[in-house]
Amino acid sequence: MNSLITDLAQEIFSGIALGSIYALIALGFILIFKATEVVNFAQGELMMVGAYVNFFIIQGIMGDLHVPTGWMFLMGLVGSILFAIVFGWFLDLVINRPLRDESVFSIIMATISMAIMLRALVSMIAGSESLVPQSPFGGAYFNLGGVIISVLDLTIIIGAIVLVSAFYYFFNKTRWGIAMQATSEDPIAAQLMGVPVKRVYALVWIFAAIVAAISGVLLSPRASLIDTNMGFLGLKAFPAAVLGGFGSIPGAIVGGIILGVIETVSMGTLSFHFHWVKEINDIIVWIVLIAVLMIRPTGILGTEEIKKV
Amino acid sequence: MIKGRYDDENLKWIPLLIGLVLLIPFALKGMTFSYKYYIYILNTIGIYIILTVGLDLLSGYAGLISLGHAAFMAIGAYTSAILVDQAGLPFMFSLILSPLIAGCFGFIIGFPALRVSGMYLGLTTMGFGFIIRRLIIALREWTQGSAGLVVSPPNIFGFTIKGDWANYFLVWTLAVLVIIGARRIVKSKIGRAFMAIRDSEQAAEASGINLAKYKMFSFFISGSLAGLSGVLMAHTNHFISTDHFDSMLSIYFIIMVLVGGAGTVYGAVLGTLFIVLLDNLFVPELETLLHTMFSIESGEMESFIFGLVMFLFIIFQPTGLYGMWLKMRIYWKLFPFNPKQRFT
Amino acid sequence: MKRLMTIIISITMFSLIGCGGAAESPGVTENEILIGNVQDLSGPMKELGKILPAGSNLYFDYINDNGGVHGRKIRMLVEDAQYNPQKTVVAVKKLIEKEQVFCLYNVIGTSPVEAVRPLLAESEIPLIAPATQSGTMSDMSRPAAEYIFPTDTGYDIQASILIDYAKEIDENAVIGVIYQDDDYGENVLKGVEESEAEMGITVQKESFQRGATDFAGQVMNMMKGGCTHVIIAGIVKEPIIIMKTAEAMGYAPQFMGISPTMDHRVSLAAGTAGEGFISANFAPLWNSDDNVPKLYRELCEKADVPEAMMGMYHYYGFSTAIVLVEGLRRAGKKPTRKKLIRGMETFNNWDGAGIQPLTYNRNDHGGAEAVTLIQIKDGIQLPITDWIK
Repeated sequence: MNSLITDLAQEIFSGIALGSIYALIALGFILIFKATEVVNFAQGELMMVGAYVNFFIIQGIMGDLHVPTGWMFLMGLVGSILFAIVFGWFLDLVINRPLRDESVFSIIMATISMAIMLRALVSMIAGSESLVPQSPFGGAYFNLGGVIISVLDLTIIIGAIVLVSAFYYFFNKTRWGIAMQATSEDPIAAQLMGVPVKRVYALVWIFAAIVAAISGVLLSPRASLIDTNMGFLGLKAFPAAVLGGFGSIPGAIVGGIILGVIETVSMGTLSFHFHWVKEINDIIVWIVLIAVLMIRPTGILGTEEIKKV
Repeated sequence: MIKGRYDDENLKWIPLLIGLVLLIPFALKGMTFSYKYYIYILNTIGIYIILTVGLDLLSGYAGLISLGHAAFMAIGAYTSAILVDQAGLPFMFSLILSPLIAGCFGFIIGFPALRVSGMYLGLTTMGFGFIIRRLIIALREWTQGSAGLVVSPPNIFGFTIKGDWANYFLVWTLAVLVIIGARRIVKSKIGRAFMAIRDSEQAAEASGINLAKYKMFSFFISGSLAGLSGVLMAHTNHFISTDHFDSMLSIYFIIMVLVGGAGTVYGAVLGTLFIVLLDNLFVPELETLLHTMFSIESGEMESFIFGLVMFLFIIFQPTGLYGMWLKMRIYWKLFPFNPKQRFT
Repeated sequence: MKRLMTIIISITMFSLIGCGGAAESPGVTENEILIGNVQDLSGPMKELGKILPAGSNLYFDYINDNGGVHGRKIRMLVEDAQYNPQKTVVAVKKLIEKEQVFCLYNVIGTSPVEAVRPLLAESEIPLIAPATQSGTMSDMSRPAAEYIFPTDTGYDIQASILIDYAKEIDENAVIGVIYQDDDYGENVLKGVEESEAEMGITVQKESFQRGATDFAGQVMNMMKGGCTHVIIAGIVKEPIIIMKTAEAMGYAPQFMGISPTMDHRVSLAAGTAGEGFISANFAPLWNSDDNVPKLYRELCEKADVPEAMMGMYHYYGFSTAIVLVEGLRRAGKKPTRKKLIRGMETFNNWDGAGIQPLTYNRNDHGGAEAVTLIQIKDGIQLPITDWIK
């Protein structure tokens, strides 16, 4: 019995770490959706770009300068965030601005084609071989009452919680955050009230790119290899965003962690003890998701949209 | 004099459409040795058109997004393969029964659609796609799991339809029927109800439209059309596996509908033509051209060009192909008096 | 409207006149043989899509520089199919009908090759060395099997060999398998189940989805099941993460892998966790002293092949190219598709390609049934067995 609890604890911890990565990608989805009602299908690819930029900065520094390891990873992180700022602004310029008055669908389509282009472009520039990233913590871990806690996983979890809280605070308490909320409610009214709508949109895309870059940096050591297909993880994080409630920032972490834990536990303990679970262990996530949506059609923390007739 | 139901429809297009469909294979055969390849691509387009027209009824007209339409295709394909090859039913029977079964699955998915909408519905249907894939693998006894299933060619009243040439006529007969049928549906009460639901559920309900009934019906019809395309896919390709119907394919179908212009049947047809031709003919040609001009060594060139063309298309033509066509028609009708503001 | 119809009809009529017959054996001219290859250049396996044809071209260039096959140079066309069966069918159709290739070679993926079987039968075109090791390739009861010449030992046979080996080195071995939940895993499971029935053992089976990045659950289950030998049916990423996870948990079984896991990056990225990892292999190591590896390294040096590209996958492209060239040689001076098939069927324990000896005949396209095992020792891959069946 005791071992069952440790096993479960281990799987839940692992699931929370995995879920935190989902949460970070989901956060990017939600930020853009909140302000522009667009589902950004290139979010996973933004993460992939972040991972690649980080990899090349670290490799470049390692080749040329002799900096201590800690600084090197910090510089990688800062460098990819800086790149993400430029890149997010660029995406706003090419996707959001020209299509602002068009239907939401055209912007979604533009993000899908942007995702295709980014995947191709990155592998044209960086080569199609997958790369072996360095982990800032090596394989460091500690043992907490029989549960192995890897430092990397812990960093990912803390990072996700910090980022989600920061954005929650930003959206609800700061001037810019409230301006963003106003923009998402009604862009024209917001513009009339003096909200710089264009700048708000640019800022949202920049935020989404930054979040994606950070998740890419955190994911790449955990994934052991990085390649241009890691962007497809975006498709797995999408349910997390929806489960938590599209448009709710804390929903990202709730949805992400629930999905992450379900995934590891159903692949692990549940499959081990119940034979039939093995047949369906990869769709339990989806079954839970559909069930939740049946009970709460706008996700766990989502707010019901009231339609005017 | 009572006005006929379809009087406002431009019916002279239908014979032209049929004539074009009949002539194209002969024209191709005359023009090139490799006509079989082009006909094969046309067959694929025909199969996809059946699906995208159905998807357009669902997403374009009724405003219900589906990101799992490949799953309906898979249901149709596997059901028909099992019915014909293992249960020994005649193909013609399966051609009717399998789409209906796929439609029933659509009916089931209609239930969530009564409660959730927008992206939440998109995700529910996507989840449905994964569940169906798992179901197919789990029913190993009939479907051979993920190893895939060999399917016999269609047999109609004792005649076996084999080869791309024969398949073409089978596929496109059905495709044309589906196009005409879908035009009929959207011009009828049902189509108007769909559009009312898309534009405002509350208003539609207030005007006496039974939301549940029409939503379920749109899923049913869309699911059965997808099932029909799956049947054709299975029997003309002779092999199906779960990899044929992955979730990316569903997203491609939505792209086809949107590129053509959601909410118009011809738009879905044009969009399918555009995307498949772009992917299979135009992009490879362009890539070869670029290869000779610059020496770029990359296998990703094709998907990059594909993404770029689509991206530029959306930026400059966000209303889709059908919208572009309508603009052009107005332009020529008004020529040489072209008020600029019509084109903004 | 009427005028439009007239124009269309007249165009059609004119073009019908231009009809002609096809060449006798497509793809073969006075001084060239055209080969069709379908790879994944932009999908989940795009790494291989670049490396495999590069390896093949290395050998084709060598042959072409030395006068070609019966005076004809070999030219290979590569199409992209993104590892998708539907796209592979389109690509193969294009190669056969539009580009008029002589034969197909190295088409990648199990379900893609399964999907093109009807086309092979229809055009009676041989497919030499499909780049998949599924045991279904050599199954003569499947359609179009007489046109397919697999060069690899099937995944099912490999799994049985690994189980045999585990039982051989440790009689009390408790075996587990972690498999990818698709056609690849399906074939591995087939071999595992055969072994289970034969030896009267039970093997613990855990699955993962393609593209998974977290294996904590599966590794825990292996640990709970007390497995001492774990077979990984993954590609490159999966064995790395599995072994790292196990190391962190303090679980150290003997890890073994089906041959897609024998990439040198496994030892590179897994570090200490990868020590002692055994993988099945289809060939002598590319850096060993056998004849073909020697030629391979020589040519690599001459062509300035980048270090990162050299390895077993590149060598795979190279060695299967040798098989193809030998087949073309045996097809005679005036090759037809039929003659190529007859030529291939004269292979009898032929080991000139630097892979396991190949045997084909009319009733058996099994090709190979043996592998060598290689083990990572101090971060270097070393062979530990000879060919075993």
